[in-house]
Amino acid sequence: MRKTLAQAMKEWRLFRRDKLLIALAVAMPLALMSLAGGTQSLRLRNVRLMVYDYDNSALSRIYLETYGAALTFRLTAHKQGASPERELASGRGRAALIIPQNFERDTRRGAEPTVQFMIDATDSNAATSLGNLAAALNAGFAQESGIAQLPQQKVRLQQRLWYNPGLSNPVYFGAGALGMMLIIFPALLGALATAKEYEVGTIIQAYASSLTASQWVMGKALVYVFIGLVDFVLCFTLGVFAFSYRIPSNPSVLIVATVLYLMAGVFFGMMMGNATGSQSAAIQGVQMGSFLLSLLLSGYLFAVANIPPQIRWVSSFLPATHYILIVRNSILRNVGWETSLKPMVALLLLSFAFFALNVIQMRKMQFKG
Amino acid sequence: MHEFSRRYLALATKEVQQLCRNRGLLFQLLVPPTIVLVIFGYALNPKVRGLRLGVVDQSFTAESRDFINALTENVNFKVTHRYTRTKDAEDALRRLELDLFLVIPTDFSRSLSRGQVANVQVVIDAVDANTAQIAQGYLRRALDEYNAAGVAIPIREDRRARLLVRSAHPAPPPGMPDVQSAYLYNPGLVTSWHYVTGVMSIIMFINASLVASALAVKEKETGTIEQLLMTPAQTGEMLLAKTSPVFVLMMVVLIVALGVGILVFGVPVRGALWLFVVAGAAAAMAGIGIGVMVATVSRSQQQAQLLTFFVNPPITLLSGATSPLENMPQFFQKLAYLNPLRYFVTIVRGVTLKDAPWSALWPNLLALMAFAAVLFSISAWRFRKQ
Repeated sequence: MRKTLAQAMKEWRLFRRDKLLIALAVAMPLALMSLAGGTQSLRLRNVRLMVYDYDNSALSRIYLETYGAALTFRLTAHKQGASPERELASGRGRAALIIPQNFERDTRRGAEPTVQFMIDATDSNAATSLGNLAAALNAGFAQESGIAQLPQQKVRLQQRLWYNPGLSNPVYFGAGALGMMLIIFPALLGALATAKEYEVGTIIQAYASSLTASQWVMGKALVYVFIGLVDFVLCFTLGVFAFSYRIPSNPSVLIVATVLYLMAGVFFGMMMGNATGSQSAAIQGVQMGSFLLSLLLSGYLFAVANIPPQIRWVSSFLPATHYILIVRNSILRNVGWETSLKPMVALLLLSFAFFALNVIQMRKMQFKG
Repeated sequence: MHEFSRRYLALATKEVQQLCRNRGLLFQLLVPPTIVLVIFGYALNPKVRGLRLGVVDQSFTAESRDFINALTENVNFKVTHRYTRTKDAEDALRRLELDLFLVIPTDFSRSLSRGQVANVQVVIDAVDANTAQIAQGYLRRALDEYNAAGVAIPIREDRRARLLVRSAHPAPPPGMPDVQSAYLYNPGLVTSWHYVTGVMSIIMFINASLVASALAVKEKETGTIEQLLMTPAQTGEMLLAKTSPVFVLMMVVLIVALGVGILVFGVPVRGALWLFVVAGAAAAMAGIGIGVMVATVSRSQQQAQLLTFFVNPPITLLSGATSPLENMPQFFQKLAYLNPLRYFVTIVRGVTLKDAPWSALWPNLLALMAFAAVLFSISAWRFRKQ
């Protein structure tokens, strides 16, 4: 234990010397988190809708207003004489609404005029929801203006949205961003510190010293886990102000999970450092192995269930998958140990596995005393 | 001129030799476009399917079962559990065993037979705002269909053809104007096209900056930069020689990425390919410029890599490659104009998916080239100052 602490102290002194590293370790998570939580949103807003009103009647204008009133659309003018196809191709708008001649007359007669709604479907997800929205707005228009009565409702759904009643995207991504921030930096620092030993050659001293492999690994990791905890506190504070985090009524779940998660991250980084032995290669390894995979497959952006089963198994080996689940459980759902037990066990297993791999790598090289 | 080309060739040969020795770097340059692109294309899927629906059916009648069937006959919901008490369903939602549950009250069928409106409660786990919103949409549509099912719609002769067209939407009441949505450029609504084109652009840009910074700072770290500065070559030549192998490699990466996109995901190339290549070249230059700039301010490779880590995510997030720029807060939208990657993404999508007219693409190309020129000259200036 004493040896582990001594190793940790040495590591701390080394870290303290690099001013830029300290600044980055503190400032980067904060900056990135506000960016990641604030900009990622799948809800459509301000979609530029170009209007081709060939009827120009009172009713057609009311029809347009229905679209304009939806927050999703912003009505924009199109170039005089340019076809909607061309305007869409040049990206001046994301959708075009074409109201035919005699729209009002046909509607009053009950002849059901056809309104065209052209959508730029390069972003297929957005296009699908725009199409649905148009259908809904159309029905809304018909009902509001008394043109057609919707069929009498037989069943009414009363919706309750639990945990995130405002359906706020920042809340969702903000909670996930905590997991993303805590996987990058501690892992990166661990990888750098380990790889540096190889580059400078001081690793030989570790091989020759009386420290056992697990003491060495633990001592090194301890510092970076601690720095990770500082990052956690900073990010959490930011989250409380920017992403309406709530302090869970049972914080022990989150704290235990955070420590385990940080350990998993740091061990993974050190493993990369051990395996590659060069700082830049180790950074690449962390970037690919932990950051990129976590970003894609941990359920931060899209639900894990959407990932095709051929690669879905990968996500259960990512600490971020389990941690993000626990964070959302604790901060948003405010549920306790019972729900988070399974991911917690997974986190424990993963961090232990990474630790063991580190120890095995070290032990192979260490001189037998 | 002769002098220049001789010196340039000598330096460039040295760089190529160094690059060839650096297997890790080559690996890193050529593997991501294939693997990352494939993973991204398949994994990033915002489509929501098979939501786990719990049912608390307190009515237990033919009507209530009929209603549940009507809601779940699509692929969007699957009933995973049935409960007798609401409390059990609530607990299941808390334990994440469900995404949403329905509570059908005891008087469901009685209300229906009396012609009253029957109330059904639905509780959705809304932590994932996007999924919850989609689930709401699905429910609304299924409900509309159910509500419309019993109503006789007078079908006129001319209506029949149209009903086929919109089989996806519930039949509207008579007399209503009809919206026909046309999905241009991607009528099959293939999700991967959007992400593949976006990620392709990101890889180009980010990789260029990472590799360039790694190479530029390495000389500094090993101390060989002094030797370089002592040679008769000028800084411009030096920089050019240093970056041109990377540049060539990036162009290879660009072609490989496009090939993967076309072969694996069937991304169409509808516009002019040369424009894609020119824009790719400009993007690689801009990326290299950023990389070298980062390298000049940092003292070690470690610092350089960390700095690129700091610079790259904002560039990626604010490019519109993965999520539309219009969705972002105003401030970030303004900020995105300063992002060279954003113009590249527009051009890539304009060329591959859209066949956008030249009039729409040239401002983007111009902006991208301007950024490339500015970034490259700043990095040359910083490089000289060493």
